[in-house]
Amino acid sequence: MTNVVLMGGLAGALLLLPVIGCLLNGLLGDRLGRRFVNWVGPGAVALAFVVAVIILVQVVGADSAHKTITVRFWDWINLGPNGLQLGFDVTIDPLTVVMIMVITGVGFLIHVYSVGYMEHDPDVARFFSYMNLFIFSMLLLVLAGDMLWLIVGWALVALSSYLLIGFWWRRPSAVVAARKAFITQVIGDVALVIAAFMILVNLRGQDGRGIFSISLPTVFYNAQFSFAHGSVVITAICILLAVGAFAKSAQFPLHTWLPDAMEGPTPVSALIHAATMVTAGVYLIARFHTLFDLAPIAQGMVACVGMGTALMAGVIALSQVDIKRVIAYSTMSQIGLMIFAVGIGAYTAGMFHFVTHAVFKALLFMAAGNVIHAMNDEQDIRLMGGLGDRMRNTERAFIAGSLALAGIPIFAGWFSKEDILGFGTVAGPAIPALFIVGLIVNVLTGLYAIRLWAVVFRGEPQTARPFQAHEPGRTMLWPVMILGGLSVVLGIVIQWPFQILGFSAHFLSSFMDPVFSSATGVVTEPSTFRGALALAIGTIASLIGVGAAVRIWYEKKPQAQEVVARLPRLLPQLSWHKFYFDELYDAVLVRPSRAAASTARRILEPRVFDGWVRGVTQLFADISIDFRGVETGLIRDYATGMLIFAGVFVAVGYLITR
Amino acid sequence: MSLDAFPWLIGLSTAIFMLGALGVLIRRNPLVVFMSIELMLNAVNLAFVTFGRFLNSEDGQIFAFMVVVVAASEVVVGLALITTVFRTGRDLDVDDLSEMRE
Repeated sequence: MTNVVLMGGLAGALLLLPVIGCLLNGLLGDRLGRRFVNWVGPGAVALAFVVAVIILVQVVGADSAHKTITVRFWDWINLGPNGLQLGFDVTIDPLTVVMIMVITGVGFLIHVYSVGYMEHDPDVARFFSYMNLFIFSMLLLVLAGDMLWLIVGWALVALSSYLLIGFWWRRPSAVVAARKAFITQVIGDVALVIAAFMILVNLRGQDGRGIFSISLPTVFYNAQFSFAHGSVVITAICILLAVGAFAKSAQFPLHTWLPDAMEGPTPVSALIHAATMVTAGVYLIARFHTLFDLAPIAQGMVACVGMGTALMAGVIALSQVDIKRVIAYSTMSQIGLMIFAVGIGAYTAGMFHFVTHAVFKALLFMAAGNVIHAMNDEQDIRLMGGLGDRMRNTERAFIAGSLALAGIPIFAGWFSKEDILGFGTVAGPAIPALFIVGLIVNVLTGLYAIRLWAVVFRGEPQTARPFQAHEPGRTMLWPVMILGGLSVVLGIVIQWPFQILGFSAHFLSSFMDPVFSSATGVVTEPSTFRGALALAIGTIASLIGVGAAVRIWYEKKPQAQEVVARLPRLLPQLSWHKFYFDELYDAVLVRPSRAAASTARRILEPRVFDGWVRGVTQLFADISIDFRGVETGLIRDYATGMLIFAGVFVAVGYLITR
Repeated sequence: MSLDAFPWLIGLSTAIFMLGALGVLIRRNPLVVFMSIELMLNAVNLAFVTFGRFLNSEDGQIFAFMVVVVAASEVVVGLALITTVFRTGRDLDVDDLSEMRE
């Protein structure tokens, strides 16, 4: 019981701290000056991180039966055991703990970085207010123990993402990008809400009676009684959940908003569009694994979409020239891998990759921010080159991040990515094909990661600007260096001690085991031989990608250039135009709805709607003219009216009582 | 007093009330209108007292006193209003005074 009180208090503090930061900065920040803002913004997240660490210690210390704690803060609607029940629940379990550690930890470093990055921006109070709002929303999303509050957090992260993408609202392109992101996210929100309603309607208890609650523990416990394995209802629910996840995690076909979201300030891209929010889809599927285990068709769809997106985004990333867009497409690709992992039931592998990815991708974005800063807000990599000589520390961190991204041995990404591929060899009948695609993705990742480094930091400066480039200040450099160090050692820390000691599963896997142990659709751990084989093949693929990239863009070997030139024309073209998705959506969705709207504006609005609205007002105006004469203003007339009425009253009363 | 007087007393009360009401409706001098209102109030008083007598209850008389008190205060306010209006130099005519603005 004390444990529940303690955990409830900690969770409450965790949620309240960013809210306080958001309100302080939003309401008073402009008046109290920059120093205040710069302390409150990162400070709130730092305190939240401390709270998160305490929660981690508590959960690690608890025995495995008590690792999941649900605290009900208050009842909202409670119509008894057979009626609708909604409340504000917080669930803390190992999965949540992993999420809040990343959100507050990486979030804190990015907040510190923002202090330097937004140094010259007059609106820094508003910026930190939004950033703290985002941290709160994301924490609410992962802490929610009731689907209602999960959806609230889900929508709030979309809102803060919208606010931050459009932070520089004087730029029309930023406003358009913000709108695009928000509208795409709302598609996912709607899918999620429909899924929640379907669960609410279909949930049955053990005795077959309906349960009107979408509290997550209730849903998961009763899922086995409510849904037949592979039935239409559960498949529909899971596909809707997956659509929500795809919209949030920028997966095909709802992926087009993510590259445009790079219009926001770079810390925003690092925090929201790389480390945390876009991985909410992975979290959602891992959280609802009990339902997905009952719907193999949905699982297969998720796995295919994830791997497909990983491949597509990898191809696109190869030819983009905006430094942030390249990283954005690589994010999309890596999240595709995570989605694939949770799709085949390798939940811990997916979450492992989420953790390492959050570290090295936040690092890459912040290093890119340093570059953009040094280049006076230039983002086109064709105009850079040779920056490594002037920004040594940033380059070192960037290399660490790139190698982690590419999956080179001992770097963080290697462990998690090969983990996913290892699981990929054992699950399901259609998966071997996906494993091959995964290898191609590995090659592509090496290619675009090293290409970006070589083009930006190596070679000759392409314009005058790189010559004036210099390292940024401490607040911008230190977070990058810390994450650079983590990119190197994080995988080892999580993976090795336990393997050397003879445990088969890594620390993260055994930590999250209580969450997923009930899952029936979890893939079995690959055998040692298979795992090692997948590891070897995957590593070779990554090395091929990196090696080829070094040949093509770093050493600029003529033979390599020739091979590139001999590629079929179609491929570079598709990559450059991002597979024409923007054009397709423009032609299929945007233009028709614009045309319909303007037609309605021209014909429907004035003739139909205005017509009957004006008709109603006219009707009442006409009626009132006839009654206007009654209001003479003479007391005499009113008194007469009263007297007549009194007479009628008396007469009627007499007639009735007679 | 026997029950026979009852219709006469109520009839008298009704007659006085109708006279007062007619006065309120027809006359234009606010002073006369006030007098007519007093007439109506006193007609009601008479009805109260009559009913009280015939129902063997004091309530009617108590209510009559209430009405007297209200009527007195009403007259105070009304006369004050009339004198104030008279001081502004306007004709004392309820139809002309139907609007408060100049």
